[in-house]
Amino acid sequence: MEEKEKVNAKPEQDLVLDVRDLKINIELDEGTLTAVRGVNFNIRRGETLGLVGESGCGKSLTSKAILGINDKKCKTTGEIIFDTNDKGMVNLLDLKPKGKEIREVRGKQISMVFQEPMVAFSPLYTIGNQINECTRLHITKDKKKSKEISLEMMKKVGIANAEKRYDQYPHEFSGGMLQRALIAMALVCNPKLLIADEPTTALDVTIQAQILELMKELQKDLNMAILFITHDLGTVAAMCDRVAVMYLGKIVEVAPVKDIYANPMHPYTQGLIGSVHKIGTKKEERLFSIEGTVPLALNLPPGCGFYDRCHKRIEGVCNVKEPELVEMSDGHMAACHACAGGCKGCGQNTAEAATAAPEMSAVAEEKGAEING
Amino acid sequence: MAKKENAKKILEINHLSKDFPSKKVCVHAVSDVSFEVNEGETIGIVGESGCGKTTMGRCVVRAIEATAGEVKYYPAEGEPVNFLTIDKAKMKELRKDIQMIFQNPYSSLDPRMTVVDIIKEPLQANFPKMGKAEMEEKVMDMAAKVGLNVSYLKRYPHAFSGGQRQRIGIARALVLKPRVIVCDEAVSALDVSIQAQVINLLKDLQKDMNLTYIFISHDLSVVEHISDKVGVMYLGKMVEYAETEELFSRPRHPYTEALMSAVPVADPEVKMDRIPLAGEIPNPANPPSGCYFHTRCRYCREKCKECAPEYREVEPGHFVACHFAEELELRGFNYDEEAKDGNK
Repeated sequence: MEEKEKVNAKPEQDLVLDVRDLKINIELDEGTLTAVRGVNFNIRRGETLGLVGESGCGKSLTSKAILGINDKKCKTTGEIIFDTNDKGMVNLLDLKPKGKEIREVRGKQISMVFQEPMVAFSPLYTIGNQINECTRLHITKDKKKSKEISLEMMKKVGIANAEKRYDQYPHEFSGGMLQRALIAMALVCNPKLLIADEPTTALDVTIQAQILELMKELQKDLNMAILFITHDLGTVAAMCDRVAVMYLGKIVEVAPVKDIYANPMHPYTQGLIGSVHKIGTKKEERLFSIEGTVPLALNLPPGCGFYDRCHKRIEGVCNVKEPELVEMSDGHMAACHACAGGCKGCGQNTAEAATAAPEMSAVAEEKGAEING
Repeated sequence: MAKKENAKKILEINHLSKDFPSKKVCVHAVSDVSFEVNEGETIGIVGESGCGKTTMGRCVVRAIEATAGEVKYYPAEGEPVNFLTIDKAKMKELRKDIQMIFQNPYSSLDPRMTVVDIIKEPLQANFPKMGKAEMEEKVMDMAAKVGLNVSYLKRYPHAFSGGQRQRIGIARALVLKPRVIVCDEAVSALDVSIQAQVINLLKDLQKDMNLTYIFISHDLSVVEHISDKVGVMYLGKMVEYAETEELFSRPRHPYTEALMSAVPVADPEVKMDRIPLAGEIPNPANPPSGCYFHTRCRYCREKCKECAPEYREVEPGHFVACHFAEELELRGFNYDEEAKDGNK
């Protein structure tokens, strides 16, 4: 079930982040929740990778694992290799979660914009104080100077009246303004990698467009890499260079952004794209929808995680063996039996797979027994 | 979009206003909003947060009392009444007809009630004499109709996913067999695939039960998909109102144009050509002079700063509040081209 292949577009020197075979298990009373099941991806400098998936697919856990801020209950294995400023490539998982080294990275070199700005800020401190915290910790101890830097950042992200706003509390801000403040907080130390976890989901379209443009602009200025986590395919199209689609703790498809819209291969990706209504195409009465819901990643059966909801499922194949990520065309990878070997060779491949199925099922049964036991 | 002939009016909102006075200032959350709703239609209301769309929706269902104006409701039988001024007894009778679906499926359900009780509550409140068995039956019917698994109904809301919870909220609103439903950001909190499911459900139910929706959302793509007519609100005022295709293909108000240009299209080939909106939404407690939008409008002229534009009908069914609605050449979505693309 392990995929040794990396989900890389091209092996290049200027990698900022390289995540290899990341697995996150959460021990619950009911059993082990396999939230992330072997994720591979990398990001280069100045690149934006979109991580797309529905809630519960493990995208937020993945991003938090990079910063090492997941709950203690989350058992994380694999490698998260980050290009640090002073020590070069370091596996962040090797660092102590509360040690000095990770703190040097966290907030300064990798920072994060969270989903809900209302929750991300402490209600007890002023906005200025909270943005300032980062600069005081990482840039300068001089209070005046750090305030200047913070104010400048606040202006840069478009907070009007920054001087006055600096001394206000989060409850005095609107949602859009708070998100700007959050972005200011994340960018104030000029990070190498910005993790944006649904940064615009709570915002209005006009504000959303502004924030996306702002992030792009700042990205150019700082040559920053962005891991853009979202379920909104509209913003992905506007924002990302490459897209990784995640389902049930696995990456099921990776491709350059143009390919993923023009030629989505995995049925899940197809469903996601199909269920978004495009303005100006008012022909179909009903939206395409993926039936059912994301299953709970608890005691998962063998086979493809999308099996129950898939309209292209092949019985005896898809529910027996977990598909691996395979390169379909240049830089385009998908993990699906039904489209393995490119959509052209579909029939042939499935026939082969079907004959091979009996053996697989034996293996799968063993594995299933293992999981259940 | 098939135009409904002889459409029957169901709601008429006239000069609806809502102020929130405080010690120092008075926030005009909704000011002078008027529109008509026909039976079986879906009216989309879009605008940025803080534009008063939710307040407007709440005024219509009378969850809060409007400051001025009227909501004329045409009941199935009998004379039209002003929903905002009718007495308690009449209110009780008519409230059943206008229901609401709330935004957040996580906070709008009481965590200490089972799903059966949640869906049953409106029945108990409105039909205290209804027999238990009958009530139960109605609940089950409705639950099945919105696609909930009937055997799970004894559970509490926490056991359900977001999409399922929104179905519970929909069942609760529908169990009284209302005629009008105000959907306040009903799908905004859901995942895309679930969003599509719920939208399809809402459309099916509309066909089945001849429902009328007032669909409040900030998501223009969803509104465009579901609505027959769309109203655009800015700073408490309706600035434009027209049939969906008309509005999206030929916007007449600069704000609508800017709003639509900001919608991210799920297609990387389409270059986003956003019309920048300068600055922030002005403070509704202290709105700008003249046209409220003039501070951010790229077509702003002297006249706009001085006098407020009249909300008028520039074409049959197309209402705009802009001095220069007739002259401006505004950009919208190109329907025909897209359709051709789709046929390729």
